[in-house]
Amino acid sequence: MQLTQSNPKSKSKSKSKSKSKSKSKSKSKSKSKSKSKSKSNRKNVKALLTTATCALLGSVVPSPQALAAQPDEWQFDTAIMYYGESARVTAVEGIIAGQKLFAYDQLLNLKFTVDVLTGASPNGAVAQPNVQTFTRPSGRGQYQINANETPLDDTFKDTRVQFTGQWTQPIFENYVWSIGGNASKEYDYLSLSINSNLARDFNQKNTTVSAGLSFAFDQIEPEGGIPTPLSTMQVADVAPIRGYDDGYVHPDIQSRLGENDDKTTVDLLLGLTQVINRRMLVQLNYSYSAADGYMTDPFKVVSVVNDQGDTQRAIYENRPDSRTKHAIFAQTKYHFAQSILDSSYRFMTDDWQIDSHTFDFRYHVALNDGHFIEPHMRYYTQSAAEFYRPYVIENDVPTDLISADYRIGEMDAYTLGLKYGMPINNGDSLSFRLEYYQQSPKSSGTQAVGVLNDVELYEQVDAVIAQITYSF
Amino acid sequence: MLRKVICSAREGGFLLSFHAMASPCEVLIDVYDQVLATLVGNKVAEEAWRIEDKYSRYQKTSVCGQLNLNAGQSSQIDQETFLLLQFAEQCYQISDGLFDITSGVLRKVWRFDCSGNIPSQVAINKVLPDVGWHKVSFDEQNFIMHKNMEIDFGGIGKEYAVDKALLIASELTKAPLLINFGGDLAVNGPRENNQAWHVGIEHPSLAEDKSMVVSITQGAIATSGDAERFLLKNGKRYSHILNVKTGWPVENPPKSVTVAAPKCIQAGLLSTLALLQGSSASEFLQGQEIKHWIIA
Repeated sequence: MQLTQSNPKSKSKSKSKSKSKSKSKSKSKSKSKSKSKSKSNRKNVKALLTTATCALLGSVVPSPQALAAQPDEWQFDTAIMYYGESARVTAVEGIIAGQKLFAYDQLLNLKFTVDVLTGASPNGAVAQPNVQTFTRPSGRGQYQINANETPLDDTFKDTRVQFTGQWTQPIFENYVWSIGGNASKEYDYLSLSINSNLARDFNQKNTTVSAGLSFAFDQIEPEGGIPTPLSTMQVADVAPIRGYDDGYVHPDIQSRLGENDDKTTVDLLLGLTQVINRRMLVQLNYSYSAADGYMTDPFKVVSVVNDQGDTQRAIYENRPDSRTKHAIFAQTKYHFAQSILDSSYRFMTDDWQIDSHTFDFRYHVALNDGHFIEPHMRYYTQSAAEFYRPYVIENDVPTDLISADYRIGEMDAYTLGLKYGMPINNGDSLSFRLEYYQQSPKSSGTQAVGVLNDVELYEQVDAVIAQITYSF
Repeated sequence: MLRKVICSAREGGFLLSFHAMASPCEVLIDVYDQVLATLVGNKVAEEAWRIEDKYSRYQKTSVCGQLNLNAGQSSQIDQETFLLLQFAEQCYQISDGLFDITSGVLRKVWRFDCSGNIPSQVAINKVLPDVGWHKVSFDEQNFIMHKNMEIDFGGIGKEYAVDKALLIASELTKAPLLINFGGDLAVNGPRENNQAWHVGIEHPSLAEDKSMVVSITQGAIATSGDAERFLLKNGKRYSHILNVKTGWPVENPPKSVTVAAPKCIQAGLLSTLALLQGSSASEFLQGQEIKHWIIA
């Protein structure tokens, strides 16, 4: 605020004089009033006050300054996450997400994610009592795996950049419409998607029904090209020292198909959210997903063994070129006095014959001064895809589909975690999450033969997830 | 006091609490969306802190502090300050001069520390010339008052902040919500299914065992009182509610007056005016035909 110092003294003086004159007039008026203080006069107080209040509060409402100042602030969440599997993949992820609410309840969400993955990933082959040699997916060299160790390709290194945007707005009374898009790119992978969703509120906003559709396009362009499905991985007798630059082409590369391949996915989502009472909310979703195109993992192989379990060769895997999934998701949130219990169950089934069940529980407990803790427990179990085999026997090599990727085999997984959050000044908040994750692949009935009885075919994966989130 | 908004889950939605204007403040919002609840809480708190910073007489840098510091000279004022001064002017007129935001100077001689220090008439006469809204003059751009005078928005600031904060919150959401700044409160309407809000009024003017629960479906509630601040001499209780015309405390005001009105600032002014009527506070409020609660 600025203060007029002594500059136009005479002016302001004359002004104040004339003012105080008029003031004394009104004073004398009010004096005469107060003399005849009667009940009828007192009754006016309420009415007079209403007029005065309108002048004070009424006129302030649509000042353009206030309108501009009010909804125009962004709310940001920034997070850094670490995911580390024991002796396998390590990922570090940075997220910045912004949310902005506009004047007419429109909401814009933007999110930018960067992941850096390094480490080793199973190539699908089984452990052997002897040293094994594999060709790198790029064809740029070979690597050896010690006896009795699950074969891991340790050149796994990638950076992924992802951008997501979503716009949500009311369109008619009780209808909310949303549209969004997603783009992510890593060295050998591109993913693009668009989605749209329409929700309708019923029953004084106690019931919401929604329908959504999304369309995604994914393209993979592995270094060295797409391996021919079911072809044998070529291993050079002598590990080549030279690289591409010298004109050397690894024998395995010569059998590759093309440079890239792609798939398209259509997802349909139907949702129902019901407020049961002041404390309880229930959500039910059904989703349908149809993918079409290249779904094989070009980096995965399957060991072909003899009847003694000794590896003869490794063949590149092959998955169907279509996949249809149905999923049902049910969630309830229950508000206790100082806590919220969020429980959900998801059932998914697909035409690869994978059925999965996920149970997830989060218990948000408000502590004093806005601090909270949130224990998290998740259990996941899935059956194997019909073409999953941990390995194949030489005389029994399928001519169509096969994969030894443990991620589509039978497995259980659970997560145990704890989140702790605290407010810092001015509504900003900080939270920490620490979780332990364990994946336990299991046999789906394949009887191990010969030496395979002595190696670990279904190696357990342990991982730690740590995340720090700062919201401002 | 640290300026932070604390969000906690409660039955039906969230509670956002913070500290402003020397009072515990809270927003109750009946919505399950924590992002929205937090946004509303932050905006309400920002408005409370903004008004506190702008109109606190304790802050030398505030508009109020500067106007007091520059008493005797003309000061420039902005639109909001003009509207508040104009409101104070109207309150002065409506109350026949009983409500006067220049009365704070009397605190120089009246110290309500529950002691028996009653000032002498000589001392009161000494400060009385520095009191009187009629000695103030202002227009939309400038404000001037006599040297040694002081203004204090304390009597309307908190209630004004409640009304302003509710306007801001209402632009962000239609979800049922209640804003409560230290016992002065307003709602944007009833809760779901037309249910009333039930609020415990915890006001400095109410003794702890006398805190009361009121129901409200619309409008606002404000409380004024003198339960904690008074002087006691020779068995006579001197209220801290002063009559600006005489410089002496109002005789036998109720301990506390709670009033319901469409806007918090109206409720606040009506409860203050009722106290200023002294022993006829109840009669005054009955004459206004408004819902009220009096603790004598």
